[in-house]
Amino acid sequence: MGSQKRIAKELSELVESPPEGIIVELADEANLYKWKVFMEGPEGSPYQGGKFIVNLTLPTEYPFKPPTVSFGTKIYHPNVTNDEKGSMCLGMLRADEWKPSSKIAAVLQFARQLLQEPMPDDAIEGRIAEQYKNDRKRYDEIAKEWTRKWAVSE
Amino acid sequence: MSLSKLSWNHFGPHHPFPEKQKFHGCYQDALAPPAFLRPLGLSISAAFAPGPSTMSNSSNMNTLSPDEMQRFQKLSNEFEPDVPGLLVSPKQSSHNIALEYANADPAFATKTSALAVTHPMSRTMKGDGNCGWRAVAFGYFETLFSLRDMLRVEQELARIKSLTYTLDRVGYAEHLYEMFIDATEEVFAQTSEAIQNGDQDESFLVNAFNNEYKSNSILMHFRLLTSAWMKLNAVRYQAFLPVPLEQYCASEIDTVRTEIDEVGLQALVDGVIQGAGFGVEILYLDRSEGDAVTPHQLSPTCPSDATIRLLYRPGHYDIIYRAEQTVNMAPVVNYQYAMTSNYSPWDQGALSFDVNSHLMSIPNLMADPAFGMGGAPMSPIPSVSPTPASPYRLSPTQDMYQSPMQSHAPVPSIPVSSPTPAMPSAAPPPMTSLPSRSSDGPQIRLNPLVMKPNLNHLPVTAPFKNSPYNQAHFRNQDFEPIHWEPNDNRR
Repeated sequence: MGSQKRIAKELSELVESPPEGIIVELADEANLYKWKVFMEGPEGSPYQGGKFIVNLTLPTEYPFKPPTVSFGTKIYHPNVTNDEKGSMCLGMLRADEWKPSSKIAAVLQFARQLLQEPMPDDAIEGRIAEQYKNDRKRYDEIAKEWTRKWAVSE
Repeated sequence: MSLSKLSWNHFGPHHPFPEKQKFHGCYQDALAPPAFLRPLGLSISAAFAPGPSTMSNSSNMNTLSPDEMQRFQKLSNEFEPDVPGLLVSPKQSSHNIALEYANADPAFATKTSALAVTHPMSRTMKGDGNCGWRAVAFGYFETLFSLRDMLRVEQELARIKSLTYTLDRVGYAEHLYEMFIDATEEVFAQTSEAIQNGDQDESFLVNAFNNEYKSNSILMHFRLLTSAWMKLNAVRYQAFLPVPLEQYCASEIDTVRTEIDEVGLQALVDGVIQGAGFGVEILYLDRSEGDAVTPHQLSPTCPSDATIRLLYRPGHYDIIYRAEQTVNMAPVVNYQYAMTSNYSPWDQGALSFDVNSHLMSIPNLMADPAFGMGGAPMSPIPSVSPTPASPYRLSPTQDMYQSPMQSHAPVPSIPVSSPTPAMPSAAPPPMTSLPSRSSDGPQIRLNPLVMKPNLNHLPVTAPFKNSPYNQAHFRNQDFEPIHWEPNDNRR
């Protein structure tokens, strides 16, 4: 199928010239559709210094359906579900907004940008979004603490 | 550009397959019944059939445990409306459309009934958000196939491939779009093959377009070409868009299942289809005045043998096929008249018979030197020879989409362009030299069978072959009509 060829090309491009703060590998060498991504917390964000594992899964209908993105590392963020799934689903990752002409690299950059600038109005975790808007200081503290606790390997 | 002239009367009965269904795949959406369920009158409990205990109060979903929320989310994510039918249906009678509206508003009932006569065949597109795109893309390949012209297929393949540079110019990366182009090329190859094999019908295209992967890929290719075209011709379209063109393309054209709107359709025709020389016409089934659907032409020309016709009902496009054209007899030209030069124009009053089109179309009638000379004996009828080529020749096997030029002409089956018989080298006697054409002039009584269409298909038995009733004689170059002479036996 043409989609495998495309995925392989996208992967090799990402491996050869990775975007800033993003390292990509296959979760399982035999499966092109499951990627393991190491994402550095952007500078200036409370996630700075952390290294987050992001699981990227490509549906069999790719590129006609969007990849799914979930955080394998616990993260305190209004747009990431605060559970063991760590799902992120908004903007270009939604089926109705997804464009088959998008690169996976763009998806990953979008996810990293979201660490820099959360989108509280499109939040999954309403409580964190509320805090982000009204009590940024407290939000920063908790996010930093979670980063230290879960995303920094000793 | 004629976008401004389009009339958008989006009223009417709900199409059974509403298309605009946004699927949000996030948790917050699970808090309320998805919008697309509400009009169906389904409560969320009915839709998702959860365990017995939790859903007694379905309005208060905030009390659900995260596990349940997740389960609902999963169901919600995986929910696809059950739209029945194939992506592209086989050709079917347009009476089905009329039946759908039989009990609807009289305006629709009238128009659909009339439509079933003028456009007897149709092909439905699945209402999955891509129907407009799919109708045009399918129509494009179907039209190309119907022309049965290998050279044309090659030209079109080259043209479509050459449009790839527009994708590069607006910044799409090759490795992202090449799989879409591959799918299109594959269908071009299938089209060539079908023409070479002499395939009678377009079922290979129906199959290709019902393959989800192929279908999606081709549509994506056409979408990207449209998007690139719009970006490169922004000035033509921006005025018709409520948002910046880049944004419009990103949210309406480059997506997977956003239905095509008027501007997008015009751009698809302008940028992708029109270069083929094909026409595109939409028939609007709306509540506007009149007894027929409102046609709107999207292309500068609509060649009779290469026009894609779409039927638009609010929110949905299908393909529709016009009744096979009657042979265009509009200008009935008497070629002999045109050839002889210097006599005064026709004066119908001076003729003792009606100059009607049927008469005029009888070969040699006017120029026959024997005409009016009184009792030219019937020459022995020669055996029927193979008929000479004529643009109006009926082709024997036609059960496909037909180019009108080849169609069974229901009305005049009289060949109008049979070669003229060997003429005396001198110009035929001018009409004015004929015996007086007043009341006692020659009169012509046509064999009634002359007026009947399609006698070409009468079985030719040996006795019939030589009978004066055999219409094939009219094609014979030595054919002469019988001149009825009242003098002989009626006086």
